[in-house]
Amino acid sequence: MAEGEIGGEKKETEKRIVHTYPLVRNSDMNEEMRTESVEIVVTACEKHSANNEMAARMIKEQMDKKFGPPFHVVVGEGFGFEITYECKSLLYMYFAGTLAICMWKA
Amino acid sequence: MPPATNPKKSTAPKTAKKKVSKAAEDDEFEQWQKSRQLTKPKDQLELTDAELKEIIPRVLQSVNVQQPDNLVQYSFNLGEFVPAPSAGNAVLVFSQKGTFLHKESDDARKQLIAQGIDPLELGTAPSIALMLSPSQAPIIEVAPKENESEAEDEEEPEKSDEEGEGGGEVAQAATEVEEEQKAEAGPVPGKKIINQFNFCERAALTYTNPRMNRETQTIPPPKGSYSSNVLQWIIYDAYQHDYEEQQLEKERERERREQGKMTVSKPGMKKVAGKVQISEAVQGRVFECWKTLERMLNLNTFDYIAKDYRYWEDPADEFREEEGTLLPLWKFSYEKTKKNTVTDMVWNPHYYDLFAVCLGFLDFMKPIKGGAICLFTIKNPSFPDYICITEAAVMCIDIHKKYPYMLVVGLYDGNVMVYNIQATCKVPAFQSNSVTQKHSNIVWEVKWAPDLPDGEMNFYSVSSDGKVIHWILMQNEFAVTTIINLYLEKEPVRGPDGTLVKRKACASCVAFHPENPLIYLVGTEEGLIYKCSTAYSTSYLFTYNAHHMPVYRVDYNKLNSDIFASCSGDWRIKIWEDNRQEPLFVFDLGACVGDVKWAPYSSTVFGAVTSRGSAYVFDLNVNKYKPICVQAIVSKKKYKLTRIAFNNKLPVIICGDDKGCVTALKLSPNLRVPCKPPKKQQHLDQHTLQIMKLDRLLSLVREPTVLTAPPDPAGSTDS
Repeated sequence: MAEGEIGGEKKETEKRIVHTYPLVRNSDMNEEMRTESVEIVVTACEKHSANNEMAARMIKEQMDKKFGPPFHVVVGEGFGFEITYECKSLLYMYFAGTLAICMWKA
Repeated sequence: MPPATNPKKSTAPKTAKKKVSKAAEDDEFEQWQKSRQLTKPKDQLELTDAELKEIIPRVLQSVNVQQPDNLVQYSFNLGEFVPAPSAGNAVLVFSQKGTFLHKESDDARKQLIAQGIDPLELGTAPSIALMLSPSQAPIIEVAPKENESEAEDEEEPEKSDEEGEGGGEVAQAATEVEEEQKAEAGPVPGKKIINQFNFCERAALTYTNPRMNRETQTIPPPKGSYSSNVLQWIIYDAYQHDYEEQQLEKERERERREQGKMTVSKPGMKKVAGKVQISEAVQGRVFECWKTLERMLNLNTFDYIAKDYRYWEDPADEFREEEGTLLPLWKFSYEKTKKNTVTDMVWNPHYYDLFAVCLGFLDFMKPIKGGAICLFTIKNPSFPDYICITEAAVMCIDIHKKYPYMLVVGLYDGNVMVYNIQATCKVPAFQSNSVTQKHSNIVWEVKWAPDLPDGEMNFYSVSSDGKVIHWILMQNEFAVTTIINLYLEKEPVRGPDGTLVKRKACASCVAFHPENPLIYLVGTEEGLIYKCSTAYSTSYLFTYNAHHMPVYRVDYNKLNSDIFASCSGDWRIKIWEDNRQEPLFVFDLGACVGDVKWAPYSSTVFGAVTSRGSAYVFDLNVNKYKPICVQAIVSKKKYKLTRIAFNNKLPVIICGDDKGCVTALKLSPNLRVPCKPPKKQQHLDQHTLQIMKLDRLLSLVREPTVLTAPPDPAGSTDS
């Protein structure tokens, strides 16, 4: 029991330190596009930290404007997906420790 | 009649209907009947069933009952009422007289005959019968007139009955008919009139273009599919994994940096750039191993030399006075530059075992393409630690005092280059533009100057083109300033086109004052030595008529900056004092003196090398007229010695020859005797003692005649 508690505490402290940066899990965008997309995601998710829908909408609109429609964006804490996307347009990333953002063009 | 029959007719259908409804007893019909409200007139007779059932008989008679049969007429002729004849049953409603004749009637025949047409023919061609020409119209009119009269006769009794109503009308109608007949007779018979029932339709169709269907499809953009699940624990794990990797990467980075520091801090253990084919990591590690192995092998091979260097102090020195020897140690050479001449050598100011050798050529009758800078360490005599290959022969070098990895070199083609050997030996970090900013002749000497206030590195170069140029290292290029043009104080000569050309001196060496960075000495090929200041670009502070042949080297004394030595191709070494026209000492060595250098450890010791392959060491304190050591380093016939350099820390000198070989020699104890402090002044350190020693010596040498016009040292330094 004691060991488990200690372990839990450790994890919590680590979690507090580490898990806030954007972490790209999968992307086939080119370097420039990816950095820009990540930036858009970070801005949107920070702006609408409480409202995932608004964040997704904002990301989608900005991506459409920058890279041409139609982009699809999913923002959430738990979901599953199976998508078909146009190559060079997929970005799947985590942000702020709890959010997963998936965006693609189709 | 009609009013009488009407009530009967109206009742009859009603009864009939009732009968039908009762008889059929159709429900639907009844329902339909019920839905209808029968409206009855108010004055309708109310009849009983018996009355309704009563059948009223109808009797039709040929006799008009209502016609009166007892009409009478008063006859004035008879004077009594006479019964009038009955009108009969016929009732004339409308009558009209026509003008048509039946063609087979007698009248028609008569008419036709009158027209000259055979009535028989007419029978076969009935259409002609209708042809009535206008000219025959009066004939036709005759008949109607006859008809009319007849009709009028008939109607006359009616007229009386019906108050003569129709008479006018009939007459009118008759005339109308006549007109119609005339109109109809007008057109040509047999030709049909064009109207809505008789017309000709004509249509045309234009050529329709053929149509074709063609289909195509673009290649759809490449697609991919991807699927994943997002759960909090997945995100957590991913972050955890990524974090661990980052930590690992940081660790590695730190290790790498530490390794790098270690290699830098270890003297002479720098990596040589190269061997690109080996991967970076492998290269780093394996290279270190190789390096250590090479050192070990070298130490084993040259063990006896190392021991000599470390422990051998010539025991004969104790029994010789005023004489010493040079013990040959290692020989440094590089395979590829064996044909080159050693044009300059300099010890690294930071790593005392490392020295740089310039490989160019001095025999200008046999030019050699290419040159090199080799940095050797005495720990590894077999192979240079750094090699910088250049396209042109390298004539001079200097190592920066603060940044021991910055090398500036002057080339045979007039260019100057700066190498950062810490970064790479392959390409120079800075290179003068070979078109616009370079010397137009051989660069004979380069010297680093103290850094500018902004921290920019800078150096001076002298060349045979008579210029002293100041170079400042900017971001990636040089900022160039010409400090002085060394014009000779002679009459200008006439050029080919009549212009006057001021002749320039060919600078061959330079020495900067150790204490005042503004003051410098330039030795020239004319044998003059100019004392100049970087602040003045037109005038010299002092001119020494030093030699008759090119001055090869000017060197300030390491401890007393008023004293300097010069050597020349006129076989002589001269020791000068600042602002004194005459030299203090003159030594003739019987051969072209390639180099002279003051020893760093003593104020009175200097070494020189000659083209006959001998090295000379003088100690003015010991012997003012002869060298205390003369030693042939290389074979007189084959080799010439070109340069000499004292190590700043070790009792070792290096001598370069014209075959690209450098020999290291150890100075025997007699050549480096330290000053013994006088008994009364035991506390004085070696530096002060050395200065005192030289001063004592100078006071002996200075001639009183010269002293009558003593130079003003303050003025010289201030100016």
